[in-house]
Amino acid sequence: MNNPEKYSAVVLGGGIAGISAALEMARLGLTVALVEKTPFFGGRAARLCCKATDVCQQCGACLAADRLKALFQEPGITLFPHTELTQCSGDPGLFRLTLKQQPQVIDPNRCVNCGLCAEECPAFSQGAIITTAITQNHPRYAVVPAHCLYFKDGSCQVCQRICPPTARAVDLARPEQTMELEAAAVVVATGYQPADPKTRPHYGYGRIPNVITGFELEEMLRNGRGVRRPGDAAPVRRVAFIQCVGSRDQDRPYCSQVCCAYTLRLGRLLQHRLPEAEVSTFYMDLQNVGRNSPGFHDQARREIRELRALPGELHRNPDGAVSLRYLSEEAGRAESAAFDLVVLAVGIGPGADNRELAALLQTDLSTAGFFQAADPKHRNLTSQPGLFLAGTAEGPKDIAGCIAQALATARQVSNYLREK
Amino acid sequence: MRTIDRELEIILAHSTELTASGLDYVKLGLWAAGLPGSRILALDPKLPPAELEARLRAFLHHAEPNPVLLAALDPYHRARTIIRLLTEKFDINPELLAVVDLQEALGYQDPRACSLKAQHLMRLAASIVTRALPISAQEVPVSTQVLVWGESGAALKSALDLARLDYPVLLAFPGAALKPLTPGGPPAQPPDEELMALVRQVETHPAIRLSPAAAILDLQGSAGNFGVRLQSGPLVLEEKVGALILAPELVLEPVAPPVAHPRIISLTRLEEILSLPEEAAALWDPDSPQVQVALLAGRGGDGHPLALRRVLSAAGQLLSHENCQPYLFLQDAKVAAPGLETALEEAQAAGLIIFKVNPPPALSLDQDRPHLTFFDPVMHEDLALACDLAVLAEDYRSAPENAALAELLRLYPGPLGFFQSDNVRNLPVITNRRGIYVAGPGRAVMDLDQAFGEADAAVTEVQGLLGQGAATAPKGRAAIDRGRCVLCLTCHRVCPHGAVTWDNRAIINELACQGCGVCASQCPNEAIQIRNFTDDQVVTALSTIDPRLTPRIIAFMCKNSGWEAYHAALHLEHAPLPLGFTPMRMPCAGKIDIDYLLQAFALGADGVLVLSCHPDNCKSQLGNEHALWRVERARGLLSEAGVDPQRLLFKTLAPNSPGDFLAAVTQLTENLETLQAACAVASGAVT
Repeated sequence: MNNPEKYSAVVLGGGIAGISAALEMARLGLTVALVEKTPFFGGRAARLCCKATDVCQQCGACLAADRLKALFQEPGITLFPHTELTQCSGDPGLFRLTLKQQPQVIDPNRCVNCGLCAEECPAFSQGAIITTAITQNHPRYAVVPAHCLYFKDGSCQVCQRICPPTARAVDLARPEQTMELEAAAVVVATGYQPADPKTRPHYGYGRIPNVITGFELEEMLRNGRGVRRPGDAAPVRRVAFIQCVGSRDQDRPYCSQVCCAYTLRLGRLLQHRLPEAEVSTFYMDLQNVGRNSPGFHDQARREIRELRALPGELHRNPDGAVSLRYLSEEAGRAESAAFDLVVLAVGIGPGADNRELAALLQTDLSTAGFFQAADPKHRNLTSQPGLFLAGTAEGPKDIAGCIAQALATARQVSNYLREK
Repeated sequence: MRTIDRELEIILAHSTELTASGLDYVKLGLWAAGLPGSRILALDPKLPPAELEARLRAFLHHAEPNPVLLAALDPYHRARTIIRLLTEKFDINPELLAVVDLQEALGYQDPRACSLKAQHLMRLAASIVTRALPISAQEVPVSTQVLVWGESGAALKSALDLARLDYPVLLAFPGAALKPLTPGGPPAQPPDEELMALVRQVETHPAIRLSPAAAILDLQGSAGNFGVRLQSGPLVLEEKVGALILAPELVLEPVAPPVAHPRIISLTRLEEILSLPEEAAALWDPDSPQVQVALLAGRGGDGHPLALRRVLSAAGQLLSHENCQPYLFLQDAKVAAPGLETALEEAQAAGLIIFKVNPPPALSLDQDRPHLTFFDPVMHEDLALACDLAVLAEDYRSAPENAALAELLRLYPGPLGFFQSDNVRNLPVITNRRGIYVAGPGRAVMDLDQAFGEADAAVTEVQGLLGQGAATAPKGRAAIDRGRCVLCLTCHRVCPHGAVTWDNRAIINELACQGCGVCASQCPNEAIQIRNFTDDQVVTALSTIDPRLTPRIIAFMCKNSGWEAYHAALHLEHAPLPLGFTPMRMPCAGKIDIDYLLQAFALGADGVLVLSCHPDNCKSQLGNEHALWRVERARGLLSEAGVDPQRLLFKTLAPNSPGDFLAAVTQLTENLETLQAACAVASGAVT
């Protein structure tokens, strides 16, 4: 504890922005610590699906794979998985960070990812052992002490016992670690929290089985098992997307910037995978998509029914379909329609820990709850010297925007350290 | 079956846990020790680094380093330290280090299958690495001068930051003086303060030369050593530059009113009027109880949030007059930028009336006043509005010179007249040519914050390329056989990276070359070879296929997509890959020759899989297209030879789509099974 590990910069958050910033700083010759709260690197972007139909739709989800691979081979970056910031002190221009790392119960050197521990864990459904679809991570299993029975009352050691004797990767006795890091610069890249679809209770998320979020659809498409109605595994033909769930309302008076793009790309992908499908989207205003937005919208309009209306209450039909009513611009009156699957295009909300983290770092949040940038022309700087921002911690952005900002942040950090 | 040309050092990074997954590493080690010319070290990767280093030192004691084959489970995680020691402490050239992930060998029910698979993977890797040649790095002298093209905020910031890093900068721009545009601000008024400050700093920095009224006439050479001919006012300059950053300013597309009338004006004109008190006063006609102003945005289809910002700021000024009622007509409110949703709501709360109409309102004159008719989808009826002033908002567009300049610079054009092809692999500032970067309004309409950020990224790229005047390039990666080159210049035409020039033969610039191999596969006289992907090396590797492993499937995979998806798939829960699956890593699908496909069948493959990136996702732009048409040609040739073309499958996929990889393997396996079944029926009919 007396000798803090010294780094040029510490990056908080191992998602696409944090990884991109860390890699670029390493390229600029800085020594970097990358701190990730969860056991796995890659963040949300790495869990999204490729949206290519016959051609690439430029969503950027594949870019996370490239960068993760580079991350694990980069000697200039020290990784701190399953680690949180608990304290931040130090003099102006020098941060002293106290980190707490959860017990690394599963030894990465021994684990063969056989998955037995997760299969047999009695508290698996409570999240005592979690796994990841981001295959670049190793191990891809982690014990979460907060939900593990052993850490609760010592009542269970199933994972330790079930782990093959030749591997012996699980050791529940491993302690949590406290570390001190010292760095002249800190980059906040802690990402976002998807908007809670239950804030629009009339859409029935959680109540109507065939109402899902965009993320859930991405997961279905990513694992390659095909798109089925979650309620009854029936085939899907009529699909509706509903836009602006948790964006552009009283609580969140901003546009999340990514939902129109992912909705239309996912809609086109569904149409491509299921040629019989009829895809509709309900929207307020369609935002630009990609660098060739007019061309993209021309194509999307041919494949997807676009309706300017936000539906009222959703209902579950006896046959499992979801029915909704909306004011049709075309007809000039309210109309009803039924869909096999309703996908809520949830927006980008501020990270759940932002308040706590901002207090630790002694910096401000915007009224919407994101980290406050120094000014609109320098969104990767804060009012505090040495404290930088990257990615959606600062506000809504797409993958391309996160990467671009992260690279800029890396340059800013390098300039700052040189001029210091 | 195979002869090893050189000695091979095999490192089996094992621990007992391999056995847990069904592979007997002791047996595997004994088998590997029996490979001709090989020596083997079993090394537990969990040992402390110093111990690992000592053991490696004892093992690798030769003066001449031999190729090394490292086999491990999840090598890039578990054997990370060993890999690092080998490349850093023992100077093993990356080309002479084969890393085999034993993951693929696990998961078969039959332990014999596990070991056969592991042996197959190791034999294949051994065959490749023992014939590999090192690729060393060389220092190439480069010019440190950088040409920055444009007068945008991104151009100014790039120029200034480069100058501060001691790179001499030539800042060339088409205008007479530096007048950057404030995105989302009134174009006729002085730019934003920070932009003004940048202009002053750029104008006075000793390392920056300004070249106003400029045009790029010609560009020769390649990364690090471009020769540029530049019109600068009346002068023509010949300059040597190491890199270019393209950041030309956006333009506002002039509006064309359907009828010319003083009451139908552009937004720029309205901004001008509002900024001049006496002109503005004339607007507030004391006789009219209320001045009605119609603002028409996004008439050219999709507008941009920055255009909406301009409109809203003008609307705000109009709303501050109590007897003015502004209306805003648009198709979609493009609010996807920070602060715009709030600005829109505030304007509405202050009295702005918004109609979202499509098509845009018809504008005519009625009693010397602008007259709008439109269909209001909310009231579901045709409406008309007589107003005192109709204001047409301009849209932002790319600089008009871009298209011609892109052609001159041999850049693939981007969408809507911007530079940089629409391909996420280029993000944010890369183009198809090393040494030419784009930033800010050179590649899209964007706000200053993003444009400044891209300037930062472009500066990092330039610094990474040019260093302090010496760039690092691989030596001998692409070689041209002087005896075979007939100067047909196919390579020059197909090179996606503009890396091939010529004097009395073709020359590949090693700094600009990105090693995709498109030229090598396309050369009609086989005069170009990519080191470690030469025709001999590839075909010899194919011959390691073990006849005991069926079905024999050879998969040629682009390293940027198929190869990554294959590795991701190995880590998913799935049925194991066919035993005879033989993975071949290619630098780009564009390097997959027709000959490789035919040779694969000649050497006993039952099926061949070609996996490339999706269209518009290829790092070498057209590598996937080259691969597709070669597969089609090969299919034709196979048919002629009596081989069913269904045995050759082409798929495009993304690196993050392991599901697509598995689906492709399944599809080919099913094709083969169907063919086999048909074959069995046919032969049954004969007997």
